[in-house]
Amino acid sequence: MSVHNPGSLDALIDALKCLPGVGPKSAQRMAYHLLQRDRKGAQKLGEALLNALTALRHCARCNTFTEAEVCERCLSPKRDGKTLCVVETPVDMNMMEQTLAFNGLYYVLMGRISPLDGQGPTQLGLDKLLQRVDDGVVEEVILATNYTNEGEATAHYLSELLKARGIKVSRIARGIPVGGELEYVDPGTLAQALRERRGVER
Amino acid sequence: MHRGKVDGQPAYILHTYPFRETSLIVEAFSRDFGRVALVARGARRPRSPIRGLLMAFQPVELAWSGKGEVLTLMKAEWVGGQPLLGGHALFCGYYLNELLLNLLPREDAHERLFLAYAQTLRRFAEGVQEADLRRFEKALLQELGYGLWLTEDADGKPVAEEGWYAYEIERGPVRLARQGQSPLCISGRALLALARDDFAEPRLLAEAKQLMRALMAHYLGGETLETRRIFKELQEL
Ligand SMILES: [Zn+2]
Repeated sequence: MSVHNPGSLDALIDALKCLPGVGPKSAQRMAYHLLQRDRKGAQKLGEALLNALTALRHCARCNTFTEAEVCERCLSPKRDGKTLCVVETPVDMNMMEQTLAFNGLYYVLMGRISPLDGQGPTQLGLDKLLQRVDDGVVEEVILATNYTNEGEATAHYLSELLKARGIKVSRIARGIPVGGELEYVDPGTLAQALRERRGVER
Repeated sequence: MHRGKVDGQPAYILHTYPFRETSLIVEAFSRDFGRVALVARGARRPRSPIRGLLMAFQPVELAWSGKGEVLTLMKAEWVGGQPLLGGHALFCGYYLNELLLNLLPREDAHERLFLAYAQTLRRFAEGVQEADLRRFEKALLQELGYGLWLTEDADGKPVAEEGWYAYEIERGPVRLARQGQSPLCISGRALLALARDDFAEPRLLAEAKQLMRALMAHYLGGETLETRRIFKELQEL
């Protein structure tokens, strides 16, 4: 930007660029919008950001964001502590919750192993997961990382790590989507579903 | 040479990383144009149809066009025939890609290396053999012109089965009076086995591994591969 903006305006534009998918152009648009059309919204945004930064931390048990030492879900007596589902992000955890198919507890990795991005197991801080799994209640760990290469690499590493400690490990299944017609399924998914076919119970 | 349009080009994705607001830079290894960097516009938008196709270790056919410095990915098509890699094979795949990203120069065609890479991935899908890794490393050094002297020593004499050698990088094996201690000390038997791609004997395979590790470390200029670090961590579990 060769235009001479006041320093505080430039600082705002620069700060907005830290958002994922926001480049200089979008950042400038957002800054003008906030300052010109929605000063109240801007005030709220600023306060909410500062508030979240001071109030939120990682749950001591599941690693997701929470205001307390341990989050509500981890404390709930209705959840079954024997199964622990490992996901990459809080968004993934919310998706799992929406299924209403799982009543166990979670562990959120807040990332994944991606060797070519310099993200190894060390950067994931897996000590906390190991501590969590060693609580004497967990019997099975369900690996629900993505079915990308990185998600698979993460699942493999975790399964080796957990099996070495004698914990039962499983991986969520993949295949044809529910209600999916073969005609419209992508060939990669179809090929893998064929390779991972299973016997039909009588 | 390929400024303009390329269509239906067999390739593998080596790596992708975010570019601008919604795009990706795709590092691909293509059969006829070697390693190319392509911009996949909009590939990071939710539900982008191309996103799932830009997956490493799967054969694809790419179309791109370009003026000036930037090549734009126009199309990616799934080819099939390669099972997805999982477990240890996946980390070995990352190892190949990390080697290629570090050692393969851009836009330099290496068809034989491309075929060796494709074959290695297919073998990985059936379970990784140490020999497959050695074969690929050898192909990489030979195809990139780094030179690998296995049947003749540095003095031009044929390598002797019963001899011991100190492998000097850029020069070749130098005959020793007896077995030495350096990591680049290797038996004539192992050199000749490596030349023949004969990895039946575990002891010779271990010697070949040590030589290849030293050579890779040299050509990588002291950079430690992330995959190598993870291999170590996995072994220590
Ligand atoms: Zn929690």
